[in-house]
Amino acid sequence: MLYTVLFGFSIGAILYFVSIGLSLTFGTMRVINFAHTLTYSIGVYMLITFIPAVRSFIPSAALAILAVIPISYVIERFVIRRLYGESLDYTFIATFAVTLIGVDSIKWIWGVNPYPLSDPLGTYLQIGTLTFPIYRVIIILIAVILFFALELFFRKTIVGKIVIAALEDVDGVRCLGVRVDKYFAIVFILGSALAGLGGVLYAPISAVHPYMGLSVLLLAFAVVIVGGMGNLRGTFISAFSLGMVMAVTARYWSQGAETMVFIVMAGVLCFRPIDI
Amino acid sequence: MKEQTSGQQRAPDNQSYESGKTSGGIYGPAASRTAWRDLLAIGIAFLVLAPIISVNRVTDFMIFCIFAMSFDLMYGYMGRLSFGHLLFLGTGAYASGLFIKYFSSNPLLAMLVGILAACLLGMGIGLIMVRATGACFSLMALAFNQIGFFLVLSPLRGITGGEDGFGIHAQPLGFLNFASKNTMFVVVLGGILLTFYLLKRLTLSPYGIMIRSIKEDETRVRFLGYNTYFYKWLTFVVASSVAGFAGVLSALNYNYVNPNVMDVHQNVGVVFACLIGGAGNMYGAIIGGVAYMMISNYLAIYIHRWEMFLGFSLLIIVFRFRKGIWGSLQGLGQYMRGPRSVQVQ
Repeated sequence: MLYTVLFGFSIGAILYFVSIGLSLTFGTMRVINFAHTLTYSIGVYMLITFIPAVRSFIPSAALAILAVIPISYVIERFVIRRLYGESLDYTFIATFAVTLIGVDSIKWIWGVNPYPLSDPLGTYLQIGTLTFPIYRVIIILIAVILFFALELFFRKTIVGKIVIAALEDVDGVRCLGVRVDKYFAIVFILGSALAGLGGVLYAPISAVHPYMGLSVLLLAFAVVIVGGMGNLRGTFISAFSLGMVMAVTARYWSQGAETMVFIVMAGVLCFRPIDI
Repeated sequence: MKEQTSGQQRAPDNQSYESGKTSGGIYGPAASRTAWRDLLAIGIAFLVLAPIISVNRVTDFMIFCIFAMSFDLMYGYMGRLSFGHLLFLGTGAYASGLFIKYFSSNPLLAMLVGILAACLLGMGIGLIMVRATGACFSLMALAFNQIGFFLVLSPLRGITGGEDGFGIHAQPLGFLNFASKNTMFVVVLGGILLTFYLLKRLTLSPYGIMIRSIKEDETRVRFLGYNTYFYKWLTFVVASSVAGFAGVLSALNYNYVNPNVMDVHQNVGVVFACLIGGAGNMYGAIIGGVAYMMISNYLAIYIHRWEMFLGFSLLIIVFRFRKGIWGSLQGLGQYMRGPRSVQVQ
């Protein structure tokens, strides 16, 4: 049972990394970003490219996340920014188009075949008679640290405060003479880099293939809907609880894990529909 | 900001609404006269297309067009973008396929069962879906589609054959031999004409105006005293039944059913078809369906990276070419008729 808890928390941590950006992009720009997990898969493929050259996990992971930043800037500048204020259907379709282009580029550059990646640490933590893979524990720790770091960022820095204000009322912030577009770009890039971080951390304990982003994207949508669009703490809580749902379901019925998340999401939507 | 975007969307709808009005009443005898002309045009177009391409492929195109029309009823007319419409196509295909496999190989009964199954599923899911709007609607449809895909793939593996699917053999029924390509072509042609006629009548009726009004502003329609939930639910059920019909036809056409018919990722095809043809018009759905099938069938041979092409063309459509092929043709037609027929917007 302890393994299930650990498993659930580590999945929850990954879901948290991926969902923050989605939640922020929706909360500030009112854009449902289908292309969000593109940076997740690109981060993983960058990691695969850098590992043979750098020969160690942490520097190549950092390089991979840095490499994601210009790509997310391009997406923001040429697609997301133009969608600002459009109806939701068009933002949906345009960002989905970006996903199609991105996935096809991945297939073009790196090929269709899945890559194997092994646990970079491979060591286990011994507590009494129980052993835990230390890598999953580290992922959970990073998620918790990140949560507090983001809380600090959004409460204490001026960029964070502007973003929080924009989550409440974009026009109000603009009336104060703040160039919100610039801050939205920062938020978008931050969210994409975090998605890249999620991908880089999750890749060693999952399979790497060009469509890996799409399956995570659906889960991230579920997290954001359950947690509330643009609600950072809600996202944190819902990511970890849905991770637990997945882990507990997988323990008894391994194929049903992802579907159970959608059932929970449908249930939440039935009782608390969101007007967007 | 919201006013502005809805204003942009409203423009093409007003045109089609107005042009329907100028040709002698929104509904009524004149509308049914033009409907015959439309049916003739579509029938001839597909009959001409069949020898040029191949009967097989055109049958395939027409099935996709039926599906695109059902999607257009929900997206183009009612303004609800469903990213899980394939669920109903798959339900139709599986229900009829399973019926043929386990109960009776009568194709007409199977057709009925398939449509009924999609209709019933639409009724059930519709009750939940009508409460959602915008992105929420799309994501819920996506979630339901994912659940359906999973059900077919894993827990029901015993009867659906899991990933491999299963083959079906429909029994010939008098002159209706579904194994013959030509019979299938005629049946599907009949199906598309029937669907077009029904949906055209439906969208030109007061009910059609109602669902367009819901697209424009649901709150105002509710203020007028209409129960919008009921109309949205009805549209959902009609759209899912028609999608189920397309599913039945595709099962009978291919003689096998596999989970690809309701793969979530394939949904982008029908969205693309509707947009490129021009959303909010049945003609647009047919033109878009044929265009999409042409692209996916032929372009994939010449251009290896065709998904990328699809992505870039979707971006161009969204940013530059919102009216689609049919909308542009309509605009051109109005331009040719001279300044007198230009309507004040």
